[in-house]
Amino acid sequence: MAIQVSGITKQFGHYRALDQVDLEVRSGELLALLGPSGSGKTTLLRIMAGLESADSGSLQLHGEEALGLSPRERQVGFVFQHYALFRHMTVFENVAFGLKVRPRAQRFGRSEIKRRVMELLELVQLAHFADRYPAQLSGGQRQRVALARALAIEPKVLLLDEPFGALDAKVRKELRRWLRKLHDDIHITSVFVTHDQEEALELADRVVVMSQGRIEQVGSPADVYDHPASAFVYEFLGQVNRFDCTVADGVARVANGALAIPTENGVQGEAIAYVRPHDLGLSPSAGGPGRVSGIHVVGPDARVEVDLAGLTLEAEMDRERLSFLGLRPGDRCAVHIDRARVFPRR
Amino acid sequence: MLAKTSGQRPALDDRSWVRGFLILSALGFLLLFLVLPLVAVFVEALHRGVDAYWDALVEPDALSAIQLTLIVAAIAVPLNLVFGVAASWCISKFDFRGKGLLITLIDLPFSVSPVISGIIYVLLFGLHGVLGPFLKSQGVQIIFAVPGLVLATIFVTFPFVARELIPLMQEQGTEEEEAALVLGASGWQTFWRVTLPNIKWGLLYGVLLCNARAMGEFGAVSVVSGHIRGETNTMPLHVEILYNEYNFVAAFSVASVLAMLALVTLVAKTVLEWRFGAELAATRH
Repeated sequence: MAIQVSGITKQFGHYRALDQVDLEVRSGELLALLGPSGSGKTTLLRIMAGLESADSGSLQLHGEEALGLSPRERQVGFVFQHYALFRHMTVFENVAFGLKVRPRAQRFGRSEIKRRVMELLELVQLAHFADRYPAQLSGGQRQRVALARALAIEPKVLLLDEPFGALDAKVRKELRRWLRKLHDDIHITSVFVTHDQEEALELADRVVVMSQGRIEQVGSPADVYDHPASAFVYEFLGQVNRFDCTVADGVARVANGALAIPTENGVQGEAIAYVRPHDLGLSPSAGGPGRVSGIHVVGPDARVEVDLAGLTLEAEMDRERLSFLGLRPGDRCAVHIDRARVFPRR
Repeated sequence: MLAKTSGQRPALDDRSWVRGFLILSALGFLLLFLVLPLVAVFVEALHRGVDAYWDALVEPDALSAIQLTLIVAAIAVPLNLVFGVAASWCISKFDFRGKGLLITLIDLPFSVSPVISGIIYVLLFGLHGVLGPFLKSQGVQIIFAVPGLVLATIFVTFPFVARELIPLMQEQGTEEEEAALVLGASGWQTFWRVTLPNIKWGLLYGVLLCNARAMGEFGAVSVVSGHIRGETNTMPLHVEILYNEYNFVAAFSVASVLAMLALVTLVAKTVLEWRFGAELAATRH
């Protein structure tokens, strides 16, 4: 176990940022802390790094209690959202920093530092930029320098705080793939914070979904997406249709029975049903209960809005399917639900 | 370029008379209020010839005033440098209760009249002041002596460095320091290798301003000095005494040294900006 978090609590004034959080990070895995802003994910990461203190609980890094240790003693790599590169140093000096500030007895010689720094710059594909200043680099390049700098101290774990948050969409996607590949090559235990569910699902080995200072669910990306443990996780991961319903005899009835959804998880009474837009099927039907109120085409996909007994539903399908169905705004249609999850109302 | 392609007039147009008027009025203002007085100082100082000028400067009381001014600045400026860096470090990198109050207190010397600052020290340390009898029994004299001059100067020049650094350091944030700590740097290493290089230009500028004021301070120093010739007179005070004695050549001679100090400060600042301008630009995000 690389990192063991037990019962960590953190309070800022009256605001409880973390509430009795328990978490295990396995050696060599790439773990995502996913949640909306204010869910405590960044606070948890900063506590792991020692940049924030915990009010109570314990944190073990490779079996050693770490809460009492200062950041410099923890030997973790930390990558900041806004890079935090030393602006008055060149790329080379930035990466060399962690090696140069070591106590004399543990410090490498000048040539060894140079060899290691160049090796890391090679790894992040920035060897040609060694003499540049951070201000002369693009966002994606800066973040790669920040990564090389964090790796220079040979950290036991790598912590990344919204590492792609400040980048534009295209660079973000490239850097994401690149980071995944890098992790597959060097297998360093890594934890990254993100509020972007797509990023977490694509990149991570396991995803930790957080909300209001608590962990809602931990699991593989497929796991949390297909089997959300709570209403919050269902809503947070991807688009969703949300209906108030009443469950009786294994059937959830929405809007006085305009829509009937079979359930099997034993929920009874007042409940909330969730349906992903791509699990909502439509078919043209002259006497159908639904009416198409809008169609939005985004690239290869189409989103179809349907009015049904005062509710607005959203269905998602590819464009070919849409043209096969021949639906147009104003058409009547039937609605089938292929898959739904029902949670008791809190 | 825009103007040519779109046919529209850009905001900064070649309305030459507007530009000309603005430039002329700015130059006229500078000439009237800055250059003319400066020239007047040197003209007055030199109008009896270079010998009279030189005599006024090497006369023992003048030399003592120059020496005292340098001593006071040499003590006050380094102390305010250390204080200013410490205060801005703590204000900009940490969150604590009473931060607003601390910032207000740092500004206090700017907002009270220097004469009042001087009187405060007299009330505290003077013979009839709160601590006066105790200090006298210990044989320590502060008012009408060099310690009083140093204290008053420190008080008046207190905000210069901190005021220059606080906005700069607040804008820079704490992430670079955090990065340094995580990379294994100690507090000192972080300060010397990360914080100080990031603020060095602002710091230098603050120190130059602080020094200019420390050497030129009149009000507060005047109250605590006692005007003892050759002992507790700094250059500005010496100028005043000479002027009141209708010794204009000497007064303006000493004043011209102060003026040259100001010019040197300005030139030093300009040279630094010119010499390191490229590096400055490169290190800004």
